[in-house]
Amino acid sequence: MADFSWDVRSPLDRALVVGPYGAQGDAGLALTEIRDFDLVQVMARRGKAGAMTKATKAHFGVAAPETPKAVAAADATLIWSGPDQFLVLSKGGRHALEMLAPVFAGSASLSDQSHARALISVSGDKARATLAKLSSIDLHPGVFGVGAAAATSMDHTSVTLWRGRDRSGLAVFNLLVFATFAESLWHTILDSAAEYGVTISHSEEFA
Amino acid sequence: MRIVCPFCGERELGEFTYLGDAKPQRPAAGADAVYDYVYLRDNVAGVMSEHWYHGGGCRAWLKVTRNTLTHEISAVEPAAGAGAAKVGA
Amino acid sequence: MRGNQANRLNDGGLIDRSAPLNFRFDGKAFSGFEGDTLASALVANGVKLVGRSFKYHRPRGILTAGSEEPNALVELRSGARREPNTKATTAELYEGLEAASQNRWPSLNFDVMSVNQLFAPIFVAGFYYKTFMWPAKFWEAIYEPAIRRAAGLGRAAGLSDPDHYDKVWAHCDVVIAGSGPAGLAAALAAGRSGARVILCEEDFVLGGRLLADGGTIDGLSAAEWVARTVAELEALPDVRIMTRTTLFGVYDGGTYGAIERVNDHLPAPPEHQVRQRLWRIVAKRCVVAAGAIERPIVFAGNDTPGVMMASAMRSYINRYAATPARRIALFTNNEDGWRTAETAIAAGLQVAAVIDARPDVSPAHRSLASKGGFPVLHGSVSGVDGGKSGVRKISVSLTGGARAEVEADGLAVSGGWNPAVGLTSYHRGRPKWRDDIAAFVPDGAPPGMVAAGAANGAFGLGACLREGFEAGATAARDAGRSGNTGSMPVADDAAFSLTPLWHVAGKGKAFVDQQHDVTASDVELAQREGFQSVEHLKRYTTLGMATDQGKTSNVAGLAIMAAVSGKSIPETGTTIYRPPYVPVAIGAFAGHHRDENFHATRLTPSHHWAAEQGAIFVDTGLWKRAQWYPRAGEKDWLESVTREVKAVRSGVGFCDVSTLGKIDVHGPDAGAFLDRVYINAFSSLAVGKARYGLMLREDGIVYDDGTTSRLAEDHYFLTTTTAKAGLVMQHLEFCRQVLFPELDVQLTSVSDQWAQFSIAGPKTRDLLKEIVDPAEDLSNEGFPFMGAREVKLRGGLKARLFRISFSGEMAFEISVPARYGEAMARNLMIAGKPFGVTPYGTEALGVMRIEKGHVAGPELNGTTTAADLGLGKMMSTKKDFIGRVMAGREALTALNRQVVVGIKPTDKARRLRSGAHIIPKGETPGPDNDQGYVTSVCFSPVLDQWIGLGLVERGRERIGEIVRAHDPLRGEDYDVELCNSVFYDPDGGRQRG
Repeated sequence: MADFSWDVRSPLDRALVVGPYGAQGDAGLALTEIRDFDLVQVMARRGKAGAMTKATKAHFGVAAPETPKAVAAADATLIWSGPDQFLVLSKGGRHALEMLAPVFAGSASLSDQSHARALISVSGDKARATLAKLSSIDLHPGVFGVGAAAATSMDHTSVTLWRGRDRSGLAVFNLLVFATFAESLWHTILDSAAEYGVTISHSEEFA
Repeated sequence: MRIVCPFCGERELGEFTYLGDAKPQRPAAGADAVYDYVYLRDNVAGVMSEHWYHGGGCRAWLKVTRNTLTHEISAVEPAAGAGAAKVGA
Repeated sequence: MRGNQANRLNDGGLIDRSAPLNFRFDGKAFSGFEGDTLASALVANGVKLVGRSFKYHRPRGILTAGSEEPNALVELRSGARREPNTKATTAELYEGLEAASQNRWPSLNFDVMSVNQLFAPIFVAGFYYKTFMWPAKFWEAIYEPAIRRAAGLGRAAGLSDPDHYDKVWAHCDVVIAGSGPAGLAAALAAGRSGARVILCEEDFVLGGRLLADGGTIDGLSAAEWVARTVAELEALPDVRIMTRTTLFGVYDGGTYGAIERVNDHLPAPPEHQVRQRLWRIVAKRCVVAAGAIERPIVFAGNDTPGVMMASAMRSYINRYAATPARRIALFTNNEDGWRTAETAIAAGLQVAAVIDARPDVSPAHRSLASKGGFPVLHGSVSGVDGGKSGVRKISVSLTGGARAEVEADGLAVSGGWNPAVGLTSYHRGRPKWRDDIAAFVPDGAPPGMVAAGAANGAFGLGACLREGFEAGATAARDAGRSGNTGSMPVADDAAFSLTPLWHVAGKGKAFVDQQHDVTASDVELAQREGFQSVEHLKRYTTLGMATDQGKTSNVAGLAIMAAVSGKSIPETGTTIYRPPYVPVAIGAFAGHHRDENFHATRLTPSHHWAAEQGAIFVDTGLWKRAQWYPRAGEKDWLESVTREVKAVRSGVGFCDVSTLGKIDVHGPDAGAFLDRVYINAFSSLAVGKARYGLMLREDGIVYDDGTTSRLAEDHYFLTTTTAKAGLVMQHLEFCRQVLFPELDVQLTSVSDQWAQFSIAGPKTRDLLKEIVDPAEDLSNEGFPFMGAREVKLRGGLKARLFRISFSGEMAFEISVPARYGEAMARNLMIAGKPFGVTPYGTEALGVMRIEKGHVAGPELNGTTTAADLGLGKMMSTKKDFIGRVMAGREALTALNRQVVVGIKPTDKARRLRSGAHIIPKGETPGPDNDQGYVTSVCFSPVLDQWIGLGLVERGRERIGEIVRAHDPLRGEDYDVELCNSVFYDPDGGRQRG
């Protein structure tokens, strides 16, 4: 009997080359791909928004986001993705589809998106300047604060964008992009950020 | 052009897809009524109700009231089934 | 060091004499300084002739000192970076700059085409229309090539642009166009209020006219005030000052376009940097402080090199310390023009005379004239004596009829000022006429936009500051910013008096539009020939249609037309203004979207594995798909594809079909929902089963097809074609949200979640047994045709297995989460090795679907009904569904419709081509006898001949009939037989086995 190995391969596995890219010197941008996460789309059933909210609160200890924002729970992030729906981003299977199914039974439909997206964390001095080349969203700190989220498009590609907790005083933007578009968008981001210098890495941990 | 999505806020045109006149309602039956629904459209020079799809954002279908002469948008509301989870809740 | 810059003043100006720059113009070496434009450096070097005109090849010099320049257009740089029509007046000088004059051959000094001047009488308005009418066939062969050689505005590089361009979004409360006194004051007020401000200045230095005309503001010199103001603005966190940036357009909803020339001032952009950047600025408010453009007066010889706008002459002398002439005459109809005389005297130049068209001259200017020892002539310039070496003598018609002559080597002209009404008029706002300044001022500006200062017709320095400051403060307040604006900068206003003068009658060509060589007599002729509307005048004469868009010529053209027609200027009106305000390179609009980044690409989960296998990829929409996998020794694609088909039909093969659209349909009403969007029923589908479904448009035409499986009572997994994936999702959301909001159903795209492979061939089950957990029953009983369920793979991974077949063989489709996609491909190779597994591409997939008679894109072409495709029986009569009523229309159910049928050449050796028309035997090919066409073709390895599908009138009733395939495009005509569209295994035993 043949021996099969089921290696996972991130959609950015080939495109991502760890190290510096573009202009030399202090990099203006840090690009980190976060690998191996669980992502579940939760969509309230008709007339069940209240029940979904209650179930969310009971399970995660926080309210489901009802407007474009990302809510941090103890071991998951709930990201608004549209009216009456949100994404649950977590690691290690604790909030994978099978675990959430009983939680939302009867109140929401669930769809596994864990493999449908790549997750990219964008930070550094030039994070906003770089994203301004890709996103039509206003990312001024007075408008798009920590926890703000948007279902939007970059380079004609649908993305979910949210601002995580600041790191060393600088904003951190997270980007969920559809997996089959990921390599293409990755190159566009690098192209856009080359003038600032980029530090490229990947991580198993959330930023 | 920019459209204020009732769910996402103001967004640029590129995130939206235009469908057309939002006035005709799909009839339950009747060949003539369906024919009118499929083919008959007013050619409005002025304020018109239109269907737009926020496909580059939250995927909500919207009813946009827009002046075809000035492009001024006076109202945007979600389609009946966008955010329908609240119905009866 | 001054080098050969004979016309450079010893001091003054905003140039850095410690930073000399070498450059070449038409191959000749010159030098200039940091801070120069190409034009100012040419002025400093005494170069007067810089180009030849468009139509008559007349010698031309430098008319202005800004982006309104019609004449001094050059080819900048060389090789792939050569850029034609670059304005020398805005091109910044850099070390090693190379520029060449345009529109001359063989040289600027000796231009063969200047012979055109002799034929000038025929080059009148509309001469193309009048001259090259007949015979028609001469147009393409003779007239057009000849005209293209003779005319034109420079040569494009003809090579791929080596530079990068960028597109950026920006957001602010107030965007300000222009950094003159009004713009800076507006930025100050708005910035102090706490507003987010973007200040765009097309020049590389801030200050606008202050740079050339100076003045005193708040008791400081203009330069000091600008420095202080800029320092204050730069200290504000939310004020962004962008030089070398032109706000060129306004679009709906407060969106503005700006072009930033990031590195145009360098020979080439530094590594990793862009050449230009296109800004899309979203602003709540806009203050247009773009200033005004001094306008020429039209007189004979007004295009002679050395004739220059009066304000431009001040710019060259004061800002660049470069003197355009030694002995200057000034022709003005207004007070402001006199400043050039003052400037000339201050710079130690001679003033030959001031020709003033007004009846009175102020006492101050009279005493200036007597002190300077030059005459003031009341009258107009009626002619210029000079040529390519510049102005020599000026003829003056004095008020009262006498004539005079003035010897001078430069003539400064001021006809008054036209506010820059472009931006405020781009939404069809029509500027309004103001008699007191004899100029159009903004009216009907787009919402949120206001003009201030000279752009609004306020020409005094104090007024500019006042209007700018107030506009900035109001804009900030309207945007919700209420901080303290502090005190307003103050300056005195100079008097402004003007007597309108547009055109001086005289002998010789008097140019209105110098770039397009449109003369006053062209305008008059057009009016005589009946072109009454200004829009017609513009197009007939091409006035204002050159790269400068008539910035110095439009109003004069209107005025002349008004004069001939006996109407007033406001009655005559303006043409519609359209963006962009300055030419913007296509490259900037494209940004990064060029070459391989022209559009986003999508890669399948097994893409990199397929690339390793040497797959040839094909673009399918945004996707790259493996088309076939060539092997060593195969001579062409057909050999590879035939091998792949045979391998599948005799053994087993697999193909990545992840590009199909995949949609999770959830909810208690999911079945009812699908019943309404598909023509066939899905609520009756059992859990664990798949079914082929067909969707119609509401007009009854087929929209899309695919298999949908029921994975749970309230969960269906729907697939779409690759091409329509996004559109079907949009359509289903429309159905869910707009048409059937009462249904409890939720939709999610899972296209990217699953890597899906089709595994096909008689040995499919053998392969699957290797990879699927032995506990799973894959027998015909345990997993019948059209079964669909989750299975466990060896190693514990869960997959979805669907027993569906597109190839006609025993086949399954298997889905695993996408990050396992590449492992799946590798494992299929391992598991299938004993059975000779063969990866196959989209070509083999297509061959097998044609052999099997399955319809695809060429048949689902937006004109066919379900019945046309042979799928009419699928249409349920028990339920309503989208398209049901309209599908029943007479024309869509007519018996003579073109329907899908199989087609094969009677000569087995012949190649069938798609697109060939089907003509009955014995009939003449033509629209009357056209009975359809061949939609899909392939070489069938099973039948060992070319076969195809077609849409043919009553095709299914005509099986066995021989008809003609007529292919006029390829010049072919041959007999084909209409046959059953299912060429292979018509009773379907293989796929069920």
